[in-house]
Amino acid sequence: METNNTPSTSRKRVREDDDSVPESNHSLSLEDDLIFSDTMVALHMMRAQFPRIDKVIVEPFVLQSQLYSSVKDRTQVDRELESLRREKVLRVFKLNTGQDDHALMFMEDYLKQMKRAVKSMETKKQGVFPVFEWFEVHVIHSKPEPCIGHQELLSLLSVGGKVKDEDISLLINAGLLTRQLIDSEMYWFAIPNIGSVLKGITQGRKELLSLLNRKKYKEMMLAILEKKRLRLSPLDMRFHLRDLLGSGHLKTIQT
Amino acid sequence: MWKEIGDRESGKLRPNSFITRIRSNRASSLHLSNHKELVSSHRGSVNSLQVDLTEGRYLLSGAADASLAIYDIQRATDYEAGGLIAKHKPILVDKQHQNGHKYAISTAIWYPIDTGLFVTGSYDHHIKVWDTNTTQVVMDFKMPGKVYRTAMSSLATSHMLIAAATEDVQVRLCDMASGAFAHTLSGHRDGVMAVEWSTSSEWILMTGGCDGAIRFWDIRRAGCFSVLDQSHSQLGRRPPLADKSTTKVSTSKARAPQRKVGSGSSSKHSGTSKILKHAKGSAKQRLHPGLLTSQDRATAHYGAVLGLKATEDGMYLLSAGSDSRLRLWDIQSGCNTLVHYEIVRLQTSKAIQLAVTQDSSIVFLPCMTSVKAFDVWSGQSRMTLQGHYENVNCCFYSTHDQELYTGGNDRQILVWSPLKLIPDDADECDRRTEQPSAVDEDNWSD
Repeated sequence: METNNTPSTSRKRVREDDDSVPESNHSLSLEDDLIFSDTMVALHMMRAQFPRIDKVIVEPFVLQSQLYSSVKDRTQVDRELESLRREKVLRVFKLNTGQDDHALMFMEDYLKQMKRAVKSMETKKQGVFPVFEWFEVHVIHSKPEPCIGHQELLSLLSVGGKVKDEDISLLINAGLLTRQLIDSEMYWFAIPNIGSVLKGITQGRKELLSLLNRKKYKEMMLAILEKKRLRLSPLDMRFHLRDLLGSGHLKTIQT
Repeated sequence: MWKEIGDRESGKLRPNSFITRIRSNRASSLHLSNHKELVSSHRGSVNSLQVDLTEGRYLLSGAADASLAIYDIQRATDYEAGGLIAKHKPILVDKQHQNGHKYAISTAIWYPIDTGLFVTGSYDHHIKVWDTNTTQVVMDFKMPGKVYRTAMSSLATSHMLIAAATEDVQVRLCDMASGAFAHTLSGHRDGVMAVEWSTSSEWILMTGGCDGAIRFWDIRRAGCFSVLDQSHSQLGRRPPLADKSTTKVSTSKARAPQRKVGSGSSSKHSGTSKILKHAKGSAKQRLHPGLLTSQDRATAHYGAVLGLKATEDGMYLLSAGSDSRLRLWDIQSGCNTLVHYEIVRLQTSKAIQLAVTQDSSIVFLPCMTSVKAFDVWSGQSRMTLQGHYENVNCCFYSTHDQELYTGGNDRQILVWSPLKLIPDDADECDRRTEQPSAVDEDNWSD
């Protein structure tokens, strides 16, 4: 499965943006950190390029496969993500859209998304629940991993106050925790309110792959491909292209 | 090459570095062999390959049609194409043996001490020990489920145990000396697909299960002493020496009552660090200390563990999983070194056999129909060996001649070797046993 890349559109190509490190550094050097690794630059750039979706307000997140497509050395990406995760700059979420899909979200964005979800939950249920605050303060800030065991969750939440079983179902209903088929004892952290976006990801991937599969030689010029709009996905073509290039389903060839 | 020989002669290059340089040069230039071919007479997919460890001369292969074959890989049976291609026919093929296996053979390994015995395991729930010279079954062990892998320790001086990985959750150790089962190791929650003995200790066994967990067992004690967790990672080949503040993040360990707890990736404990992760609530039950790890549900892969291979220095472990990931683990610290090997897909239903070069620089992984060679430390793909028509199941790297043997579902065993220059002059006729100066003749010359 291939897509063709022509030099004439290389100005708009994702790869060129990564080489222009000095320009993007100016806007980011206002933050504390003056040292940027390639991964950090790629993360900030992709976050800035996250597509706007009309119906849902979602804070930007980046898929791990997208990072693999922009930074060459994957081991370095993995290690930098690990150190960022340990420093609590990022959170990693395991998605249920595929075998090994992970979404990365900056801590500030995640907290914003969480607050929005909590607020809508509280207006729906007409009440204030302290469990959300305990969750944010005790669990999120002390557990950078993507999953948590049942007992551990209870013990961390009880630091805030008395926990009841209904509180955990509240967290699940708000979309902050999910269970996945792998293990029935573990809860996985999740980004609330992105169900439609996840559906868009899977359907968009399928649509893009079938689009290329139907072609005679299973390839297409990148310039033409970039301009197309996917029917079933609210996310733009660039998002899906990066994701599929990073996971190895597509590859580019220079012509 | 000549310059290096000259350097070695004059003492500029040490003998050991001369050897490693030549070996690594040869290992990084593998191609489908143009001078050696194995004539495979299997009628089913080749599931297991192993060259014997003592001489490096005999290749044992087990196939899905319950047949076994042994090839002498150093002496060819006949030559073809004017003596350029050495064809090796199997010395022994065994299909209709009355005591033989009934279903597919999934694993065939040599007895590590000499080539007089070999052990086979099959989907018919039996493990059989065979005498090579008489091709008779000397011992038969009945297992509760399909046997996926067997392993014997090449370092063992005090035991002759065959570790059997079956679809049952327990790993059994069969004793060849007595003909009975020695131990049962329980802890996995699903069938066990991969089993390897440690290359540094004769008592340590590593198993990988369909539940995605990799467990380390010391067979002299009960229970496993370590479960590898993919979220415990270290950045780099070895953990940093100084005790830094960024320790392993699972805080439940700090609250674990009265257990001796290892403190994680950033400090080194000698051999006795137990990495236990158990819930506070269940600590109320008084379990045997060795069985506490049965409650540790850490996974090394998001799918089943399909293959394990330890490096020869005993420091690292490579594991391939059905989540299409190959991970490198530091055995001493029990951490994932986060090296990313670029793999798109791995076959998920069968166990695969990985191979590593002796200096642990290249790892060969069967990926669908090709074998990919990755650099172990950086994860970059060095070569893709494409030659099989169907999925490749097993590969074995012979350090003796730097050759790679691969077997796949297309019933073929292919040999990959560094290219050998074929001399074209006809003066080489004395090398060939059969046809003198046949190079200039045509097929229809008189």
